[in-house]
Amino acid sequence: METRQLEVAGTRTRRKDGVAKVTGRETFSSDVYLPGMMHAVVLRSPYPHAEVVDIDVSEAERMGAVCLTPFDVPDIVYNERTVSIPEKTYRDRTVLPKRVRHVGEAVAAVAHDTEELAMQAVSKIKVQYKELPYVLDAEEAMAERHGARLYDTVFLGEESIQVKNNIACERSIAVGDVEDGFRRADVTVESEFEAQRMYHAQMETKAAVCAPEPDGGITVWTTTQTIHNVRQLLGQIFNLPLHKVNVKRIALGGAFGSSIQMNSITPICVALALRAKRPVKLVTSREEDMYDHVKYPVKFWLKFGAQKDGRLVAAHMKALVDIGAHNIQAYPLLGCIAGWFASLYKFPNLLFEGKAVYTNKVPACAMQGYGNPQTNFAVESLMDMLAEELGIDPIQLRLMNYVGVGDEFWGQGPTVRSIIKSCGVEEMLSRGAAMIGWDRRVHPWQKSGDVVRGIGVARGFHTSGTGGPRPGEVIDYSSATIKVNEDGSVDLITPVMDQGGGTWEAAAKVVAEVLKVPLDMVGISPSDTRTTGYDVCTHATRGVYCGVGAVLHVAEQVRQKILEMAARILEQNPRDLSMERNEEIGQAVIYPTGLPDKFITLGEVAKTAQIKSWGTIAATDSYRQKNCPPCFVTHFVEVEVEKKTGRVRIVRAALLGDCGTPINPDMVKGQLVGGLCRGLAFALLEETAYDKSTGRLVCGGYLTDYKLPTACEMPAIDDIMVGFANTYEPTGPLGAKGIGEAALNSAASAIVNAIYNATGIRFKKLPVTPERMLEALREGVAR
Amino acid sequence: MMEGYAIELTVNGRRVCAEVRADETLLEFLRTQLRIIDAKLGCGKGDCGTCTVLLDGRPVKSCIVLAASADGKDVKTLSGMQEEPLIKALQESFVTHGAVQCGFCTPGMILTAASYLREHENPSRDDIRRALSGNLCRCTGYKKIVDATEAVAKRNT
Repeated sequence: METRQLEVAGTRTRRKDGVAKVTGRETFSSDVYLPGMMHAVVLRSPYPHAEVVDIDVSEAERMGAVCLTPFDVPDIVYNERTVSIPEKTYRDRTVLPKRVRHVGEAVAAVAHDTEELAMQAVSKIKVQYKELPYVLDAEEAMAERHGARLYDTVFLGEESIQVKNNIACERSIAVGDVEDGFRRADVTVESEFEAQRMYHAQMETKAAVCAPEPDGGITVWTTTQTIHNVRQLLGQIFNLPLHKVNVKRIALGGAFGSSIQMNSITPICVALALRAKRPVKLVTSREEDMYDHVKYPVKFWLKFGAQKDGRLVAAHMKALVDIGAHNIQAYPLLGCIAGWFASLYKFPNLLFEGKAVYTNKVPACAMQGYGNPQTNFAVESLMDMLAEELGIDPIQLRLMNYVGVGDEFWGQGPTVRSIIKSCGVEEMLSRGAAMIGWDRRVHPWQKSGDVVRGIGVARGFHTSGTGGPRPGEVIDYSSATIKVNEDGSVDLITPVMDQGGGTWEAAAKVVAEVLKVPLDMVGISPSDTRTTGYDVCTHATRGVYCGVGAVLHVAEQVRQKILEMAARILEQNPRDLSMERNEEIGQAVIYPTGLPDKFITLGEVAKTAQIKSWGTIAATDSYRQKNCPPCFVTHFVEVEVEKKTGRVRIVRAALLGDCGTPINPDMVKGQLVGGLCRGLAFALLEETAYDKSTGRLVCGGYLTDYKLPTACEMPAIDDIMVGFANTYEPTGPLGAKGIGEAALNSAASAIVNAIYNATGIRFKKLPVTPERMLEALREGVAR
Repeated sequence: MMEGYAIELTVNGRRVCAEVRADETLLEFLRTQLRIIDAKLGCGKGDCGTCTVLLDGRPVKSCIVLAASADGKDVKTLSGMQEEPLIKALQESFVTHGAVQCGFCTPGMILTAASYLREHENPSRDDIRRALSGNLCRCTGYKKIVDATEAVAKRNT
């Protein structure tokens, strides 16, 4: 393979789906309308914990509604997320439960000709509940004497296991000897930290449309990050052969993890459609969506031990995760939290003890970073506390201890590890320090007045995918099909979902790069589970590294086939041919090396192959990445704290990303700026608070009461600086790693560190709302 | 059955006669009766702005406007304004500035930006941020959306 000078990848391009999106013609799941389609509405529990004793749907049925109750659904206990291997997957839910475990859990559903009729019908359903004791606090939930027990047994793989004291799962992971490590430490620091229950707030609420097909199968359009896992689960739940379950790839109005699984409404919609024998559409309201999923809230206790010179020698973390009413992925989450903790700095001795606990609240699931922003908040806060204790500059302390090239990285907990081959940590710390003006930074006690400013730093990372040299507990591979058309244009057929970050664009650019065609000659075909090989999920920042990695793998095969066909035409050896992009002709051209005038176009090759019946130039294959390189980030933030109002404002930020080759540089910047906005929300604004007397959300389903940031909360636009580390990942497609989740992971930590630098107050509980700030300022102590 | 109201209005330049329920929102009417999908349902509570349309030239959140109240009025959604130079300029600018990620907020965002720019010459970046603050976006962090809008504002003045 010749060395590549990148011509398409790494350049700024107009994204292919841009035109559809700016003209409003992009179709999302909720935009699918089918002839004869019914509309579904879900009846949800008003109680945090109750048994469904009886449901009377007779009146709703008399109105012509098709009804679905827990007594009508298949008796399959499933887990909506099937990214982990089956024996590490906990299963605790059915399509509709006979016992509801949180306010807002679906109890019944109806379909009718219009949404209005469905609403009327659903209001006629009479449910007899038997209320049960409920628990909203994770620590209370574990207490022996507490009366609320969410589950007696659940499944782990095929095995039925007992649930004791509402503990969903536990994980303990040790490296070295932590006690011995702390004995050798000159200095120790420890603290508790608490990250809140945040809501994904993707702009498109969850939706599903299901059409029953004449052959007994179904076609499904739904909000998901994984069409193939949805297909397999639907096949299993409804006992349908997989070739009769077709899940369409469709644009996703944001996800941030909220659709990492098959959403709970999808099988409800399918069950209604199968019952009604008509297409059914189910679009959740914003309030229903808020009752569907949240980010994992975590309480940490963390301790570091270091030598006087700043070298870390031991660390101990305890993590308590309040998972809400279902265990979607708490077990891998605990492993990942351990990995995020173990991989930021070199701890020769470490101990992680994690517990995940059921409560009668909205089920928690992955949200951008999958435990990493929470862990990062604890680790990076304590690093600053340690730096102060040691009298070492925070940047210096980080440079002394970071995990970098040649070190082992835990990409997905302890079972998915690989060796780091590219790392921009040092470059980003030094460049970022210059960008923000780190040398202007003074101690908090040197500041006075009603408005104070402070500068903070935090560094973070995320994995790119979940591949390791040996497959671990997480499934990871992708597939692609590429074919060359008879005019030299190319169709790319991929099962990979794009959450909006530009994964499809990156895939098209890699095809254009390898096959030497202009980018506008690459089309991204509509696809579905019937026409594509398996891809696990667009999660774990794996879209570009793994999904596009598979596209590159297939594109190389197609390139070889092009050369073989061209060799037959030119009567040459394929090895003696060259390919290049000819922008003037608008095609790839192939010629005997050294004789560029003797070229033929890719279109001529494909057309000749067709006319002579040699065949279509195409390839399909699957590919597994055997590494999970970390994409590093560094956040420098300057905040302004108004002591009279308690308001914290970000005034400047320097965002640095190490994504290897930035295939879509514009979109990488977009990820970093978007990450800052969600980091700001995590640090300062958002939390799903509960009314303890009812188990309901205090925000009542309103995004404004939930306090989603608007354009006004972001720093003045000129004051966001973005930089890329100059790295190349040897295992990545054209040198690329991921960026998506990393973009968020250390944003909130940098904000909290900046608040400390402004005020001298160390906030250990998020979000730092004006109320909490005022309280802390009044008390004058660390919160 | 609930009583229906007969309404007559102009939607994207087309005369429409329809019957709507008393509680039918303009958004529901546009999407379910007319199949105009560029106005999106993001919250149904007037919070997010993905349902923004122009009612007699003014941007409104169509999820909290009753369809019956649009009787006799002129309704425009993004898909009905594709030929307007300001809309075209914004669309082009959004694509070239990378102001689009998932795209769900984009139609409403462009309509709000267009309505604002039509009435305000030479706005500052802060003015633009405030003007767009009723339209939520979860992906972009707003920077590139403001960049894209500002670029058009500068060209206009």
